[in-house]
Amino acid sequence: MFDIPTPAFLDPVFSTFREAPLAIRLAMIFIIIAISITLLAYFSILRSRFRGHQRKKRLDYLLPKIDNLIIDEILANPEVAAGTPADRIQLNLDGFQELPLHKKWARQATTNRIIHFRRNVRGNAGQLLRSLYIQLELSKDTMKQMKSSKWARKVRALTEFIDMDIPVADVTILPLTNSRNRELRAAARHAYIKLSKNEPFKFFDVVTDPLLMWDQVELFRIITTTEDISIPNFARWITYSSNKSVVSFCLKLIVHYNQLPAVPAVIKLLDTKDHYLRADAINCLGKLRVPDVEDRLVSMFTSQPLQCQIEILKAIGRISSGRQVDFLKQEFLHSTNFDLRKAAAKSLVKNDWVASQVLQELLDTADRESLLILKHCMNPLIKY
Amino acid sequence: MSKILLVEDDEIMPKIVARILPTSEYELDHVSNGKEAFEKLESTNYGYDLIITDIMMPYANGFEILSRVKSQPRPIPVIIVSNAGNEDMIMEGFKLGADDFLKKPIIPAELLIRVKRLLMKNK
Repeated sequence: MFDIPTPAFLDPVFSTFREAPLAIRLAMIFIIIAISITLLAYFSILRSRFRGHQRKKRLDYLLPKIDNLIIDEILANPEVAAGTPADRIQLNLDGFQELPLHKKWARQATTNRIIHFRRNVRGNAGQLLRSLYIQLELSKDTMKQMKSSKWARKVRALTEFIDMDIPVADVTILPLTNSRNRELRAAARHAYIKLSKNEPFKFFDVVTDPLLMWDQVELFRIITTTEDISIPNFARWITYSSNKSVVSFCLKLIVHYNQLPAVPAVIKLLDTKDHYLRADAINCLGKLRVPDVEDRLVSMFTSQPLQCQIEILKAIGRISSGRQVDFLKQEFLHSTNFDLRKAAAKSLVKNDWVASQVLQELLDTADRESLLILKHCMNPLIKY
Repeated sequence: MSKILLVEDDEIMPKIVARILPTSEYELDHVSNGKEAFEKLESTNYGYDLIITDIMMPYANGFEILSRVKSQPRPIPVIIVSNAGNEDMIMEGFKLGADDFLKKPIIPAELLIRVKRLLMKNK
C-alpha cells in the first residue's frame, strides 16, 4: 500500500532498519531528525551570515557615495551658507539619480543616512535634508511601512516620520496610541505629541488602558523635551478623565509646568474616593506651594490613610508657611509611626525660618530615636 | 593654520565638521574615543589650538578629556558638542572648564563662528 520506490543503494539501510528491534528503530529515527535539524540550523546561520556580508559589501560601496552627495548638495550648498530659506533652494538631484534607488535596500540606506545627518545638523541644512527626503520620494516607503501588519516596521516608520518631521494624519496615529503592543503604543504616543501641531495631547482623551509607570516616564521625557508644542491646561483631564493613570500623570505635568490655574481642579480631587489619587493631588498641591490649602489638609489629616498623611506632612513642609509648626511638632512627638515622625521632622526643618526655636527645644529634650530622626532630617546632604 | 582635534565616536559628525571648517584655515585631526584622544594628545605634546569633543564616548568620556586638558600648564580651549540635554551635564562641563557648549544637532555656521571666536580669544 505504501510502497515508495527507493534507490537501490539505500536497500541495505532500509533492510537493517526493518530488521532492527523497535528501540533501535526509534533511536535511528531520532538520530536522523537531530542531524537534519542541525544541518538546517547551520545552513540558516550560514545563509544569514552570507546575506549580512553581502549587505555590508553593498553598503560599504554605497554609503560613502550617499555621504558625499549629501555633503556636496546640502552642507556645501552656497545658498545654505548665504542664509537662503530652505524652501527657496532648488536641489540638484542628478547625483542621487545615479544611486540604485530603484532597489529597496538602497532607498532604506539613503533614508537612514539622511536621518543620521539630520540628527547632527539643524537649521537651514536640516530643513534641506527634509526637503531632499521628500523630493527623493522616500516618504512613500515609510508610508508603506506604516501599513505593514508587523509592529516593528510601524515603529520604524513612526520614528522616521518623527526624525524627518513629516506630518501624519491623526486617524493614522491615534488608533496606534492604544495598541496592545507596548513598543508600538509608546512610539505612536511619541509621534502624536511630536507631529500633531494642533492638539498633541488629544490621545489623553482616547487612552483606555492605564498608563504604566514606564510609559509615564517616557511620555514625561517626550513632552518636556519636545520644542514648539503648545502646553494645554492639564486641569481639563484632571476634571473630566475617567482614566486614573491619566489624572495622576497630569498632576505631575501640572507640577512640572507650575500651572497655578489648575489648582482649583486639583483641590477638588481631594474629595476623590481613590486614596492613591488623593495622595498624588496632595503631593501636587505641596509642590505647587499653595498656602491656602494648608488648613484643609490639616483638618482632613486624621481621617486619611497613612500614604495621604505622609503626603500632607510633606506638603506642609514644601509650602513652608510657618503656620503649622505646632501641628508638625505634635505629629513628631506623638505619632507612633516612624514614617510619619520622619516626614514631620523633615517638614519642621523646612519651616526652620520660624521653627528654629522649636527645633532647638526638640533637640535638647529628645530621646535617642527622636534625636536620630532630627539629625538625619537636618543633614543637608541627605535628601530622603 | 590652527590645529583642531575632534573627538567624536559618531560616523557622520567628523565628515560634517571637516566640511564646515575650511581646510585652508584649519588642520583637523579626528579620533573616535577618549583613549585615542589621550594617545594623540600625548604624542603631539598637547599641540592643538582647540579641542572639539563629544561627552559620551567609549573608554574615556568628554569630561575626562576636559579635566586632563585643563590640568596642563597651557590649557587648550575645549568646545563640547553633545546631544546631552541634561542641564547637570552641561553645568558639569562648564565647571570642569569647558569654553563652550553646542547641543546636537548643530547649526553649521554657529560651530564655525564659535571656533573662530575661541581661537581669536586665545591667540
